[in-house]
Amino acid sequence: MAKTLKDLRSVYVVGVGWHRYQPLSDTPYVMLGLPAIRSALADAGISWTDVESSYVGTGLLGMAAGRAMLKHLGATGRPLVHIENASASGSAAFRHACIEIASGIADVSLVVGIDKPGVVQRAFTKTGIGNLADDAIVPFTHFALLTNEYAHRHGVTPQDVALVAVKNLRNGALNPHAHRQQERTLDEILGGKPVAGTLTALQCCPVGEGAAAVIVASEEAMMRLGVDPARAVRVTAAAAASERAGSQATADAAITKDTIADALNQAQLAPKAVDVLELHDAFTIEELHYVEAMGICKPGEAIHLLKEGAFDIGGQCAVSPSGGLIAMGHPIGPTGVGQIGEITLQLRGDAGRRQHKGAKIGLAHMVGLGAVCYVHVLQRP
Amino acid sequence: MSQSELLKPALYDEQGTAAAPGHPALNGGQCVCGHVFFPMQTYGCEVCGRRGEALQPVHLSGRGKLVASATVHIHAARTPALNTDVKPHAAPFTIGSIVLEDGPTVRTLLVGVDEKTLKPGQAMVTTLVAVGTGAKPILDLRFTAAS
Repeated sequence: MAKTLKDLRSVYVVGVGWHRYQPLSDTPYVMLGLPAIRSALADAGISWTDVESSYVGTGLLGMAAGRAMLKHLGATGRPLVHIENASASGSAAFRHACIEIASGIADVSLVVGIDKPGVVQRAFTKTGIGNLADDAIVPFTHFALLTNEYAHRHGVTPQDVALVAVKNLRNGALNPHAHRQQERTLDEILGGKPVAGTLTALQCCPVGEGAAAVIVASEEAMMRLGVDPARAVRVTAAAAASERAGSQATADAAITKDTIADALNQAQLAPKAVDVLELHDAFTIEELHYVEAMGICKPGEAIHLLKEGAFDIGGQCAVSPSGGLIAMGHPIGPTGVGQIGEITLQLRGDAGRRQHKGAKIGLAHMVGLGAVCYVHVLQRP
Repeated sequence: MSQSELLKPALYDEQGTAAAPGHPALNGGQCVCGHVFFPMQTYGCEVCGRRGEALQPVHLSGRGKLVASATVHIHAARTPALNTDVKPHAAPFTIGSIVLEDGPTVRTLLVGVDEKTLKPGQAMVTTLVAVGTGAKPILDLRFTAAS
């Protein structure tokens, strides 16, 4: 029978680092990525020469972005690979690095997510199969349709849904790496630029540039390199899935349900055991869908928990304490890697003003166009 | 109507089905496994993987029920336009998600509807609208509320 990550060698996140997520600038991508990697190495207390392989998550930079950047750390000749998996590129890169460490093929690996906004044609437009009006239906319209459907089904108002943005922008205001660092009132969010349906601009994630890096290592490497075990966080589950036939518009929620269940099963945890959750909230409605898909509450009940403060930092389960995609931002490649970084800080107790007290178990969730889904569980040993 | 040209003739037909003769049919397909899909393709069935002759074209009726709708307020026009004979989409416009009575769910623009009165579950039908920029009559498929 196939094994899960937990059946193999233990994998730890030992270092994390970022370049702030921000609007497109003249900064070359190399100078976004290198500071993030150097921060992660310094955080781990190891050298670049200790890193045995590199996983580069990027969706928009174009072919072979990695070596042109990594060579400025000293071209060690070690293997590197690029992983493109739409919004989940960084999460996929992290999963494969974890698998390499768990299998024993490497002891220390770098995962770096890096991107700058750029135009990349989506492959589904090149399949040769036509569509009625996909040129008129961009992601925010897809999620505006899902918002409309959810609102009717569960009797929630646009004001209710926008509360997700109030919380996540409040969290982002405490995060020096966040794209949006300004707290906003419900009126400011609802009164903003209308985008599609009831979605307004501050209910949609900003897509800018940035970088996030994490170092993963085996226990042997930690001992050999003198990494402080008190600052290491164990990866206890890595789950991934792609869309099944027939799920259509609700594909993201359907694969989220299956993938989170798989990850929690691997880690032998119940949904309510999770202290800190980083979700793919590219649009406000997604947070409601996914906490329900996870099984924290029944369909239609997420809004009540949100209003009670259950998802606040200090609540029952801190949902997107980083600010989530809505405030932290969604530069594509970095996003999933940054989630792992945030959970690592939270489980170490190093998240400063965003700290969710006593956080021991974290879960990171990403979906990507396609649809694909990735879920990782991290635990304080 | 016979002088006009369909913008996407591979996807729909001016003629309706026997079930809904007054509304343009959608060019879907059915696999021998029973899966009904839109649009027609022969690459392989999404449910069972069968290909080729296992996949046969079927006309899907232009009737369905509204699942959701959303009016789009921001739309970046593609420049340069791919087809200058056709009017680009200009915001605001309303997108509907419609589950066809034959099974598949489709999404496209709605016409002749007041978004405030649209309700999930309401009956929708296909219609053809003129989308040409010039003298050449070009028709494209839309959905509207069934009367």
